[in-house]
Amino acid sequence: MADAARYPSKLEEEVVALFGQLRVPVLRYLFSLRIPVPDAEEIAQEVFLALFQHLRQGKPRTNLQGWVFRVAHNLALKQRIRIRRHSEHFSNLPSLSEIPGEIAPGPEEKMEAIELQQSLLAVVRALPEQDQCCLSLRAEGLRYREIAGVLGISLGSVANSLERSLARLTRAGGY
Amino acid sequence: MHLSDQDLLMAVDGELSPRRKLEVSAHLDACWSCRERMHSLENTIGEFVRARNRELNKEVPSAPGPQALLRARMAEASQTTAPRFRFAPAAGIFACVLAAVVLFFATSASADGPKPRAGLTPGETLPITVDEVCSRPDAEVVTANIPEETRRKVFSEYGIRGRANNFEVDYLITPDLGGAPTLRNLWPQPYGPHWNAHVKDRLEQRLHQLVCDGKVDLPTAQHDIATDWIGAYKKYFHTDKPLAE
Repeated sequence: MADAARYPSKLEEEVVALFGQLRVPVLRYLFSLRIPVPDAEEIAQEVFLALFQHLRQGKPRTNLQGWVFRVAHNLALKQRIRIRRHSEHFSNLPSLSEIPGEIAPGPEEKMEAIELQQSLLAVVRALPEQDQCCLSLRAEGLRYREIAGVLGISLGSVANSLERSLARLTRAGGY
Repeated sequence: MHLSDQDLLMAVDGELSPRRKLEVSAHLDACWSCRERMHSLENTIGEFVRARNRELNKEVPSAPGPQALLRARMAEASQTTAPRFRFAPAAGIFACVLAAVVLFFATSASADGPKPRAGLTPGETLPITVDEVCSRPDAEVVTANIPEETRRKVFSEYGIRGRANNFEVDYLITPDLGGAPTLRNLWPQPYGPHWNAHVKDRLEQRLHQLVCDGKVDLPTAQHDIATDWIGAYKKYFHTDKPLAE
């Protein structure tokens, strides 16, 4: 830890490696919070620059993935406040349903699978925001304790939220 | 007796305690019905992850540009800011005492009244909608429920030792407005005759009412109380001094 603080170039390489590993999951999480692509990319930059400073100061290295998502989550909320100031209603932002998608025509089975996936995404979009956050963070591989840390909620709330969401998804999927 | 959905989900996610894991595993060995439910759950998770990745991955820009930008920013940061100093013990003690004095005055004796330090308590919110905010009763927030360990951390961060009775650990953004129960949203508010916790409570009630009446939007209320709660009081009560009860 101390070595890394004395040799920033090594630290830079370490942060770049973490950036390579976690950038896409962080961006996906930010998109799921309806942060527009350019803003999400800028938030990702801020997160990893903050991580660089965090490690440079010799601060704890425990659970850096959770740390990264927590900082990303908080920056996303601040960014949304800024966005809301510029648009009267948050609903003016593109929702995931409005992000243009390309569904290539294919065999019937493929189309059915795509329809199923679209219906699952519609269910997710209708969930309360906290449930969407829990589901997205879990999908990015965070454990329940890490999700609780990112969102500032209890472990039980995470378990209940995921149970609720999965029950709805299972019903929608007809399983 | 079948397993609950939560047991099944936690089993799939590897979140059960070792003892419960054994119990669930034994039940699944014996129960076809629960095994079938567990397979359904795993299928749902698989379909959801595929759908989510399919939807979101196509939005992810390519990596080389952002990676190069991050490298440049880190290089710039390395040149412009020095890492934290490592103090000799005596100097460290002196610095801690000095910081405690400065912090004490920063939170308790500001010319305009007590305010939190933005670096320690910028205010933090949970994702919440106006409907959720307004479905809650406009009840007084009970800060006594803040765990003792959390209070100690707040006092420690602010360098307050031995004078804890002079302060109330308070939410900067009240939970009634979506404030999070995190260290970044808690600060030691000194008891005092003028700009005290009771005055801030009245501001919180006022903002809650204004948000629910649609006269102030929630992000603005959160921002105003987080950045300058005394300024917000003056703004929303149209006064320069705390109003009498």
